[in-house]
Amino acid sequence: MSVRPEIPSAAAPRPRWLRIVGVAAVVSTAATVWLGLWVTPPDKIQGNLVRLVYLHPPIAWVALYLAFGLAALSSLLYLWRRTRSLFWDRLAAASVEVGVVFNALTLATGMLWGRPTWGVWWTWDARLTSTALLLVLFVGYLALRRVPADPEVRARRCAVAALIAFVDVPIVHFSVIWWQTLHQGATVLNSNLSPTIHGSMAWTLLLGFIALTLVFVWMVGVRYRIEVLADRTDAEHLEVSLAERWAEGDLDIAAIAAIAATNASNGGTGASLRPPTRVGP
Amino acid sequence: MSYVDAGYAVGLSVLVLYAIGLVVRRRSLERAVELSLPPSDSADGAAETGGASGP
Repeated sequence: MSVRPEIPSAAAPRPRWLRIVGVAAVVSTAATVWLGLWVTPPDKIQGNLVRLVYLHPPIAWVALYLAFGLAALSSLLYLWRRTRSLFWDRLAAASVEVGVVFNALTLATGMLWGRPTWGVWWTWDARLTSTALLLVLFVGYLALRRVPADPEVRARRCAVAALIAFVDVPIVHFSVIWWQTLHQGATVLNSNLSPTIHGSMAWTLLLGFIALTLVFVWMVGVRYRIEVLADRTDAEHLEVSLAERWAEGDLDIAAIAAIAATNASNGGTGASLRPPTRVGP
Repeated sequence: MSYVDAGYAVGLSVLVLYAIGLVVRRRSLERAVELSLPPSDSADGAAETGGASGP
């Protein structure tokens, strides 16, 4: 079993496409806010509260389907021997962190919509409870990543954890069908695949989905680079510690072998494990 | 402030703050990596640009 220890050059320029996505995300989000708050008409039943539809469902779409879906897919590709690469592990980590932010926002914006509509901030409704559980599960994933371990071991256990946590996503999606809930059914992706929103409201909602998808892509792109840079600095700290231990003369052969294995699987910077040529006093 | 305004304020401000946090984290790590680059890199660069190099 081998993990390709690829660490892209940390000195590589930031990709141009990421900048373009970033600009497109800002422009489309601003357009969604403008259309959602000032251009689209109020709803016959909900009045101005309907304006939250341009924000809350797109945020939930990013969290549940894009972020956690990408994390599950990346984890699957990491666990599959043919495609095993730390690239997938880093992509899953980046996607989960962004997904957790969006999941928390899903709950927050949902509560701000629920209070005036249902009369309560929170209720132990199937949709709300399963979404809160999803947040807890993926926060657990992030905590698991912080547990010190060999990068390969960490990647494997986190991939399994992501797949287990992802089981909750279809439960969240179908909760409004399987159980009696306060939460309304799907507006767009309903069982008949016939959206119950039309005209400028539908176009603004579509723009909201596109805008927050672009925000997600930009955030995952930046977060992935952070993961690469963090791996690289970790490897360098390891080499500095190793040099210090060499200088102290208290490294035994077993320790050297263990550190070499860790460094190699972490995609180390290639520094050899020979003692430094100059040792301080 | 209405619930709609509060929803947009919470949603957008959290996203903006998280985005700023990402950029700051990326910049500090890039700086840390640049500082840790071995000095031989700059010597190689100097050689490529016609600067002084070893034998």
